[in-house]
Amino acid sequence: MAEILRLENINYSYIDGGYERKILNDLSYTFEAGKFYTILGPSGSGKTTLLSIIAGLDEPKSGNIYFEGKNLKEIGLHKYRRNDISIVFQQYNLISYLTAHENVMLAMSETDNQLPKDRKQVAYSLLEKFGIVHTKADRLVNQLSGGEQQRVAIARSLASNVNLIFADEPTGNLDTATEKEIINVFKELAHDFSKTVIVVTHSDTVSAMSDQRILLTDGILKDI
Amino acid sequence: MNFFQRAIKNITRRKTKSILLLITFFVIGNFVIIGLGVSQASQSAKILTRQKMRAVVTYAADWRKIDKYVQSLEDEDEINKFYENYPRVSIEDVREMLKDERVRTANAISINTVFADEELDYVHLGNKAEENSGGGQSCYYDDVTGEQTCVEYVEPHFLAKGNYFPDMIEIADGGYKVTEGRFYTQEDLDNARPVILITRALADHNNLRIGDTITLYLQSPTDIEMYMGEYGITMEDVTKEFEIIGIFEHNTPLLPDSPNYDYASPYENPDNMFLLPNTAFDDMRLTIAQKQFDHWAEQNPEDEYYQNPDNRPTAEDVLYLNDVTLLLNDPLQVDDFVAEYGEKVGEFFSLSANNEEFERLAKPLDTLSLYAKFIVWLVVINAIVIITLVTALTLKNREYEIGVLLSIGASKAKIIAQFFIELAIVAILGFTLSIVSGSMIANKVGQTVLNYQIASSGVNETDDYDYYDYTSIWDTDYTSDVTLDDLVSEYNVTVSPLIIGEIYVVGLGIVLISTIIPSMMIMRFNPKRILMNQN
Repeated sequence: MAEILRLENINYSYIDGGYERKILNDLSYTFEAGKFYTILGPSGSGKTTLLSIIAGLDEPKSGNIYFEGKNLKEIGLHKYRRNDISIVFQQYNLISYLTAHENVMLAMSETDNQLPKDRKQVAYSLLEKFGIVHTKADRLVNQLSGGEQQRVAIARSLASNVNLIFADEPTGNLDTATEKEIINVFKELAHDFSKTVIVVTHSDTVSAMSDQRILLTDGILKDI
Repeated sequence: MNFFQRAIKNITRRKTKSILLLITFFVIGNFVIIGLGVSQASQSAKILTRQKMRAVVTYAADWRKIDKYVQSLEDEDEINKFYENYPRVSIEDVREMLKDERVRTANAISINTVFADEELDYVHLGNKAEENSGGGQSCYYDDVTGEQTCVEYVEPHFLAKGNYFPDMIEIADGGYKVTEGRFYTQEDLDNARPVILITRALADHNNLRIGDTITLYLQSPTDIEMYMGEYGITMEDVTKEFEIIGIFEHNTPLLPDSPNYDYASPYENPDNMFLLPNTAFDDMRLTIAQKQFDHWAEQNPEDEYYQNPDNRPTAEDVLYLNDVTLLLNDPLQVDDFVAEYGEKVGEFFSLSANNEEFERLAKPLDTLSLYAKFIVWLVVINAIVIITLVTALTLKNREYEIGVLLSIGASKAKIIAQFFIELAIVAILGFTLSIVSGSMIANKVGQTVLNYQIASSGVNETDDYDYYDYTSIWDTDYTSDVTLDDLVSEYNVTVSPLIIGEIYVVGLGIVLISTIIPSMMIMRFNPKRILMNQN
């Protein structure tokens, strides 16, 4: 399969109590397109830090990240976030004064990617695809259940037509049945829509359903 | 879902916050409207009243300064020397001022009562004063000797107004209208031609036409015989024949209901007035002055002054100007003109805008305008502080939303623009509502504060009498009387289109400045910190 994201010698550390604490230690890894990855690791191992770096929310102290062969330093983090990736958070991170439908439209309005002309309809279709019917799509997001909000967040991640989707503990707030539903959605995205999904999780249930489980330990990634 | 649409959604779906902000802007708007309205009304009242006043500037010797200077002199000779050459208004200065395009014309007038032969009958008023017309005898007792002395007098029947310029303020502003013939020219003035304009009433009364001549005497035959004969002055010296070149009408008739009517002398009747070049009398004035000087020189052979031929009056000495009045095109140019030329005239002269009374009466309006502006500034500064704080505090609550927007690639500029638009829309709504309410209350509030200001300023009380400002019947008062009522009647607080424009500019200015600090906070926001903390 084709490479979508390559990490080369990534280092990240911060000063804690006057001592340098290394989080990522010369980390290198290659993610392939159309696969569903889960990154596991004990608390404090740096999973969230790694996710923020590969999602373009932060920069490593050293090392290079290549998206589809292009260095992120060339692309620019802002542009990378706008056009190349989406992030799904544990808290869904939807905008409360917008409806589910408007939250999805929001992602469409910020990207430079080519999108279908009838964006409104596309947004409704995406939501419907993830079980949010029209009537619910027009509700403010805080009137939806946790699972529904997470589906809206996933629909938003797809709306900007990106190939790389990150998720940070996306099922952390959900019950087991909903958790499975959401993971199936991720699998579907990877296998049916050729998206690369990288999920940071503690959950064995989630990791068991992924194509590739990766362990972050001692600042490096190892396939399990 | 661009930033503008997001702003609209935020306003409409977070109603409580939006309404609170709307009320804040509404209250601010009312204060600003009243402040701007009162300030503008005060300024407008002054301008409108000033525009109604005549645009006249007086150029005159400043007797306050002259008296002060003379009092500072200790040596009697120095004082006498000063008085021999005391400051006179320079006709050359006035000519320079006339070149200024703001100046319409000037009056350098001298007024003389004159006599005519029996062929010219004055226009009769038929009042009580005419019973004594023709003069009589005036007697008095000497305090020391107790002897009675009687003096014969003949009352003059005509008044001659001569200007040193070929125009007059009264002609320029329509008070006098030449209905037949012409006004005298610069050439007439330069050559001291004996030409004259008479009133329509006098022309009709005497059946006079353009081209006819009339004979005038600068002194009465009685005066020549009784007082001036001793100087060798003869009737020929004070007699001149004038050619009528124009007939004019005036708008100042002396009417029977006038308080002066009953006892007005014939020369006080404007129908018995002549207009003529001031230089036409110069030769007669010079002859009289020189003959008097020669007489005193002969009587006082030891007197150094009279024995010095340099002191014999010359043509320049009889060109005597106490003051000159300039008419400007625009009353609003008067203050600038006075400020500009006031520095150019000599130290013993002054230019006066003749608006001291106007400025005194307008003081409450000035104070009101100042207070109103102060209130506007105070409200604006407070508004900026309040809105900045509210926005900064709101940012804390919206940190998460900003993080989401940054994570999906929205630019910080667009996020700031969204915040600005949210505030601007609410501000525009609030200020629009305040225009409606402000229009209804501004005039009432404005009138109330003006009445209070007038009462507390004591401007209704009149000043003490100033003898320097005394005006005799020989002076022509070109100034316009202005009263407090004139000013107050022009004071009308309205919400004009200018104020409406200003209120929106002020409102958007408040929003713009209030967004600066929150914008700086947004620029420092890090999406990772916000979102990772949240999660």
